[in-house]
Amino acid sequence: MDRHRMRILGKIGRNTLLAIYAIFALFPLLWMIIITFKSDTEMYTTTFFFKPTLDNYVEVLLKTNYFKAFLDNIIVSSGAVIISVIVGVPAAYALARYNFKRKEDLAFTILSFRFAPEILVILPLFMIYQQLGIYDTYFGLIWVYQLITLPLLIWVLRGYFEDISVEVEQAAQLDGYSWYHVFWKILLPLIKPGLVASALLSFIFAWNSFTFPLLLNGFKIETVTVASLKYIASDTVHYGQMAVASTIAALPEVILALIIQKHLVRGLSFGAVKG
Amino acid sequence: MAKLILKNVYKRYDNNKKKNKKQNDYAVNDYSLECKDGEFIGILGPSGCGKTTTLRMIAGLEDITSGDIFIGETKVNDLHPKERHIGLAFEDYALYPPLNVYDNIAFNLRAKKVNEEDIHKEIMRIAPILKVDDLLDSRPVGLSGGQKQRVNIARAIVRKPKLLLLDEPLSHLDGKMRQVLRTEIKRLHKEIKCTTIIVTHDQLEAMSLADRIAIMKDGKLQQFGSPLEVYDNPVNEFVAGFIGEPPMNLMTVDITKQDNELFFDFKGSDVRIGVPKRYQSIVKEGMTVKLGVRPTDLLIGNENSKGSKVKVAVFENLGEERRISIRVGQEFLTLITTEEIRYKQGDIIKLEVNAEKTHLFDIKSGERINP
Amino acid sequence: MAHIELDNITKKFNKVTALNNISLEVKDKEFFVLFGPAGAGKTTILKTIAGIEFPNEGLVKIDKEIVNLIEPAKRNVSMVFENYALYPHISVYDNIASPMRSPLYKKDEEFIKKEVYRVASMMKIDHLMDRLPSQLSNGQRQRVALGRCLVREPNVFLMDEPLAHLDAKLRHFMRAELKEMQSSFNTTTIYVTHDYLEALSLGDRIGIINNGAIEQVGTADEVYYTPANEFVARLIGEPEINIFNVDLVNDNGKLKVNMLGQDRLFQLEDEVIGTLAKHDNEIVDLGIRGTNISYSLGKEDDDYIKGIVYSLEPIGNKSVLIVNVNDELIRLIAPNNLQAKLDSEIYIKIDMKNALFFDSEDKTFIIRNNQERLIKGMA
Repeated sequence: MDRHRMRILGKIGRNTLLAIYAIFALFPLLWMIIITFKSDTEMYTTTFFFKPTLDNYVEVLLKTNYFKAFLDNIIVSSGAVIISVIVGVPAAYALARYNFKRKEDLAFTILSFRFAPEILVILPLFMIYQQLGIYDTYFGLIWVYQLITLPLLIWVLRGYFEDISVEVEQAAQLDGYSWYHVFWKILLPLIKPGLVASALLSFIFAWNSFTFPLLLNGFKIETVTVASLKYIASDTVHYGQMAVASTIAALPEVILALIIQKHLVRGLSFGAVKG
Repeated sequence: MAKLILKNVYKRYDNNKKKNKKQNDYAVNDYSLECKDGEFIGILGPSGCGKTTTLRMIAGLEDITSGDIFIGETKVNDLHPKERHIGLAFEDYALYPPLNVYDNIAFNLRAKKVNEEDIHKEIMRIAPILKVDDLLDSRPVGLSGGQKQRVNIARAIVRKPKLLLLDEPLSHLDGKMRQVLRTEIKRLHKEIKCTTIIVTHDQLEAMSLADRIAIMKDGKLQQFGSPLEVYDNPVNEFVAGFIGEPPMNLMTVDITKQDNELFFDFKGSDVRIGVPKRYQSIVKEGMTVKLGVRPTDLLIGNENSKGSKVKVAVFENLGEERRISIRVGQEFLTLITTEEIRYKQGDIIKLEVNAEKTHLFDIKSGERINP
Repeated sequence: MAHIELDNITKKFNKVTALNNISLEVKDKEFFVLFGPAGAGKTTILKTIAGIEFPNEGLVKIDKEIVNLIEPAKRNVSMVFENYALYPHISVYDNIASPMRSPLYKKDEEFIKKEVYRVASMMKIDHLMDRLPSQLSNGQRQRVALGRCLVREPNVFLMDEPLAHLDAKLRHFMRAELKEMQSSFNTTTIYVTHDYLEALSLGDRIGIINNGAIEQVGTADEVYYTPANEFVARLIGEPEINIFNVDLVNDNGKLKVNMLGQDRLFQLEDEVIGTLAKHDNEIVDLGIRGTNISYSLGKEDDDYIKGIVYSLEPIGNKSVLIVNVNDELIRLIAPNNLQAKLDSEIYIKIDMKNALFFDSEDKTFIIRNNQERLIKGMA
């Protein structure tokens, strides 16, 4: 009977801790949404009870270039992910199937792109971009975003390809299928979960990127992250407007993540094929 | 060493996610067993039958839902594993990789604060018995499967346990090594005379090692007897089909009458076998039963034989024995003989059966029908 | 159906030589079994014939034509992989149909349906057509893989351990089924296994391979009764054959055998004396199988040798009795109801009529009694 009681206490304890953590994690988001409806004057004087207003929304959405920034973000993030998929899938396949000199060194190099803090490389990049004339272009940003999107894709997909036993491809060859057919009709469907999950995660990373667009872009292209800075005015910080910008910027990724949240975990853990 | 008694042991796993708790949700269901001092017992059954759960309850790694377990005179239900004086050899060896063999074996003696001199004496006593005396300095990573298993067992017995528990000891070894270790475990048991329980899904392992075998299915004990008993007198269809390789021929037959004689008529073919005398009084025309007869108890009749004529579907010459397979509906009737005979596919032979060695089972319950 | 030849094939993987100058010939419509322990090179041979692996040296010929440079798809071979290699994302029906939908071997859907169901009922999986491979048991997957292989009419069937992952009951059943089907195959088949029962049962001829080299090629009778060397002898038969040193002694002009530390000399069959006498060595290895040794609790006659019971293992319809004779462990077969205490006295008699003799240095086979009749398939 003692064990029974312990079990119940354990359950209560666990749930309490989880509830506390949930509040801790979700509260900032909730707060952010709340203050989008608060006017600047009431910002510091009230907490939960205030007179809601849509002024912030009006300011941000109608009176600034917000939609352009939003669009820029979409173009640059999707573009980066699409390029990464086109390059990353064959790269992952090569790393999984073939043996060549310094293979692991190459794989590690690709992964190491994620290790370096962006601030570290931004200065030389800035100068190179100026020289090449791709400063403040979509092309330039998409290219540099590969540092963010490519490693994850290759790393996850390599695991997926490795999990597909090479005999499945060999069986298809013996059945009379060309390699092209094998790739599209057999390999791709099998890596789909990993592809979707890592592409989506890469998209989120690219979407949130701040340092690169800040320093490698001028006025022509402005991502949503950088655009949020605008609300720091000379005299005051328009928290309400900044909150609006952030909330709307966060919407796409939150929606996407919610839609595929189940697949996200499954997709990112290897083990597409057993036996 | 001590005797082991299980009395009406039940085990149910509490699964909250199940909305409707079934009545028979027991992993182990009313299990009772009594082993003598120094006996070698095999707990045998297919995967999922509850044998590992039973082993873990004996070891103390699982709670008992209800019932009692006695080791010797002591009731051990609530005792911690280390207080039960048992030695457990895990299925996957679980050797400590950074320690050498000597330290692996010495590990739990050191944990009990036995002094080094005594530890050394004990290890030197059992190492030669398990033939690991020249491996004492090696690390687990360099050892073969058979060697690892011997170290595993040495580690379990060095504490002179009252009970030795072996969990699937031969399952990860390949053919030849399996045979070697089988013989060694048998000799080990003779040397150390410790009550030993082996848990396995391989009936060959259980048959060759155990004094008595407890066969389990779906948490229930099916039969508990010596290898010869369970082989010659299986109490139900499951035991009959599980013990023995190649497996017993188990076929559905109808009882028919011809010329005032009763026959077993195999469904889906025109093969017939006369009903042996001892069953004549208990089977009636029109009944359907399950007939069990081992491949070695099917015989080829000579020219004068009255056995029914059958066609050889497959003839295999396998060196030590010959196997003939006869088509009966979707299945095969298998006959094994050591005679030096040769047949081809399509040959006709006369089929006879060793009347004393036939078994009948109820078609619904699978229970043995006794003459 | 086709004639397959491997000429002096050598295959290396990095530093490891998987196949060492192997030559093999499989006749048209023959069912050829490649038998050997794990890692011997059997799968590599199959893959070389299929074109999935490329030899470092040597020629692969199908119907006398050199196919080294021809792609796997175009060689028209059909293969069952040891791990099945089913397409995980399509149904059983589509898996079996797949070879007939490829650009190279395309057939129309009517024909495909007929053939798929023909093979499915042969494999007894016709009720599983809509399932995905992940929803099948091991045995069912095995049969789908076999079905996918058999549905075609290729030059050669290549089967890599097709029964390996089945439980014992299913394995016996499938082996008998395969044998029954053999006559209707009408196609050259190369079948790989490490189970000697499968080799003896199914093979028209058996090629025994070890460490990338061929030890012997012969019929089942040939490899069982006249193994080329001690390795082959040990590989086939259960329990393993007993092999030990014996001395050849000249006893008043007649050649006799001194073995197992016994004072008495044992007779040899006339047939073998001639060959053994010519043999240089005075020490040879004698091989005797467990079925050719009898036991007794008392010394029945002078040919019985005293020993000590080392182990008695009942295994169903018989027991394996291991007797220690002069520190030599002899394995023999005994009835399953024999009761004998460990370390008690027992007597064994070796049936010299069935003894095999090997050279004690290079372990090759010298002679046995009744050689000719046995390998012709007569008792």
